[in-house]
Amino acid sequence: MRSIWIVVKREYLTAVKTKAFVLTTILLPLVGIGFFGMILFLTTHQPTKTFRLAIVDEAGGLGPSISHNLDAKLPSGQPEFTVVKAIEQPAPDDDVENQLRADILADKLDAYLFVPRDLTKSAQLHTRNPGDFALQGPLLSALNRAVILNRLNARGIHIDDAGEIMKSVGMELIKVSKSGETVERGQSMGLAIALVVLLYMSLLIYGIIMMRSVLEEKTTRTMEVLISSVKPFQLLTGKILGVAATAFTQLLIWLISLLILLSYGAAMASTMGPDSPFTNVHVPASLIVYAIIFFVGGYFLYSALYAAIGAACSSEHDAQQMQWLATAPLVFTMLIYGMVLGDPASTMSVALSEIPFFAPVLMPLRISLQMPPFWQIALSIFLLFAGTIGAIWASSKVYRVGVLMYGKRPTLPELARWLRYS
Amino acid sequence: MGAISLQNVTKSYDGVTAVNAVSLNVREGAILGLLGPNGAGKTSTIRMVMNILIPDEGSIQVFGDPVSDDTRRLTGYLPEERGLYPRMDVRSVIVFLAALRGLSEAEARKRADEWLGRLELSDWAGKKVRDLSKGMQQKVQFIAAVLHKPRLMILDEPFSGLDPVNAATIKDIMLEMRDQGSTIVLSTHLMEQVERLCDSICLINKGHNILDGDLRAIKKSYGKNTVRIEFTGSDGFLAHPAIASVNRFGSGAEAKLKPAADAQEILKAAVQSFRTA
Repeated sequence: MRSIWIVVKREYLTAVKTKAFVLTTILLPLVGIGFFGMILFLTTHQPTKTFRLAIVDEAGGLGPSISHNLDAKLPSGQPEFTVVKAIEQPAPDDDVENQLRADILADKLDAYLFVPRDLTKSAQLHTRNPGDFALQGPLLSALNRAVILNRLNARGIHIDDAGEIMKSVGMELIKVSKSGETVERGQSMGLAIALVVLLYMSLLIYGIIMMRSVLEEKTTRTMEVLISSVKPFQLLTGKILGVAATAFTQLLIWLISLLILLSYGAAMASTMGPDSPFTNVHVPASLIVYAIIFFVGGYFLYSALYAAIGAACSSEHDAQQMQWLATAPLVFTMLIYGMVLGDPASTMSVALSEIPFFAPVLMPLRISLQMPPFWQIALSIFLLFAGTIGAIWASSKVYRVGVLMYGKRPTLPELARWLRYS
Repeated sequence: MGAISLQNVTKSYDGVTAVNAVSLNVREGAILGLLGPNGAGKTSTIRMVMNILIPDEGSIQVFGDPVSDDTRRLTGYLPEERGLYPRMDVRSVIVFLAALRGLSEAEARKRADEWLGRLELSDWAGKKVRDLSKGMQQKVQFIAAVLHKPRLMILDEPFSGLDPVNAATIKDIMLEMRDQGSTIVLSTHLMEQVERLCDSICLINKGHNILDGDLRAIKKSYGKNTVRIEFTGSDGFLAHPAIASVNRFGSGAEAKLKPAADAQEILKAAVQSFRTA
């Protein structure tokens, strides 16, 4: 036991004193703040210009209606659209469309909308920049409102503005649970997703550090001296805990700075009004606790896998090629994510969320959607930590043997043989 | 009870038998030289005594107990290649390794500083290992191996990379430890070191224990028919009929005589050839 502690201390102190650690810890929040600031600036100071549109209306009668519907304004006060030309019922031999195309290419026009006589076919927006999604929505809705108004008029219903009739109704999501009803603004799912992203990212950084640490001991032959003083199981456990401590230190520092940032953000958000996404966010404390437990468990489990890869390979190059093996289960989890999302209580979802490799992602997801019975959660946690110890045990076997058979990259059957060797 | 005892130990890798039915007894308090060419199986044998490798066949005992993690604690091990954390500083590495051996950190630090002083590394105590030269790293490695005053020391090529002055210091330390009751096994392929330091030897070649025992006894029973002569000038006298084979050096030659030949004849012939030159 004492040996584990000695290794943990060494790993932690060595890692925390490196320049890389200090720089990342300080730089990342700064970069993050920089990004947010820039995005904020860009969205509020967008220099957009008025979109120049032409309308070609084959059947006729829709043009003015469409123009009337395109009355949105830009933040600067300028109109979002101007209808430069509205051509009704063009004669068949008129070269209208070619002329409009030439205008677009000559930058006198941004796009033209072609409304066919036969409205069972689609209208066409001829534009130079088909990637401008933001403008296609308003255009389509303006077109549809004009068409509906036209149809109403044709049936003898005369309304000046179809807008009132066409206004759609919103729908709030409210979660029904034993503790009552809570308004869902996506916060619990948001937490589950944040968890996955956080787990994946921290594994990407620290899992690799773990792998490299094991590999370094192998390539510098420190291995031999260590193995004569401490058991591989103790060594690997110490390493995982030490690297984890480093990771958690860094995450803690970031979290604290994030909270400080958010407290300023919340103050700003309260000025945005009651409908902003920050108000009334209710995240149950149990979800946070479970999220932490599963994050820690998942982190340890995958760290053990990374350690195994470091132990099995003999060079940085080999290890990099094999590291996908460690994250493969996690990637798979993201693929089945949608299925569990759709039905968190199905037998399949329950079964999958008990498997140690998937539990860190799927269980918090299930907890955030529909709190599962406690025994399922308890079992999942137990299997996760038991699985982690199993993984460390297997890794230490690979370590013990792999460490001294350096020089050639192990094939998968060889790896299996090493596991049986004791 | 001997310090180390091997019975019929065999170890193979991928079809190659590195250690072939080796039996050996090392008495307590001895300095044993494990001699053999590269690839003979010395390091594999050592690793099995250190429980780093497990023999395919046979058994090994250290101070009467079968090899285990506990017997490792009694042993100081100097591996053939450097096994230190390059980015840690010298003192921390030594203390870390000693702590793993059961020493308290305070005691480890005290002894580390003593040893660093003795081996003239005090100025480097706070420097990173990778900043040291190969020979200095070897000294640090040596300190890490002996710090916990082990009863048994196994040193794989302890003098590699050391200049003559440092080599002499290490040699003196080894003799000192032997005088204090430790048993030392050193593996090398350099004969001169063995002759100066060891009282017993074991010759290993191609995985077999060819010869082992007390050094003086062995020397007495072998090598009687060899003449070593240092000279400059013509080596014509070496064509003497009493000489079976010759091994030339820069400064002279070593001639193996035929059975029942008289070494004095060779001397006569040599003096003769130089007088007439």
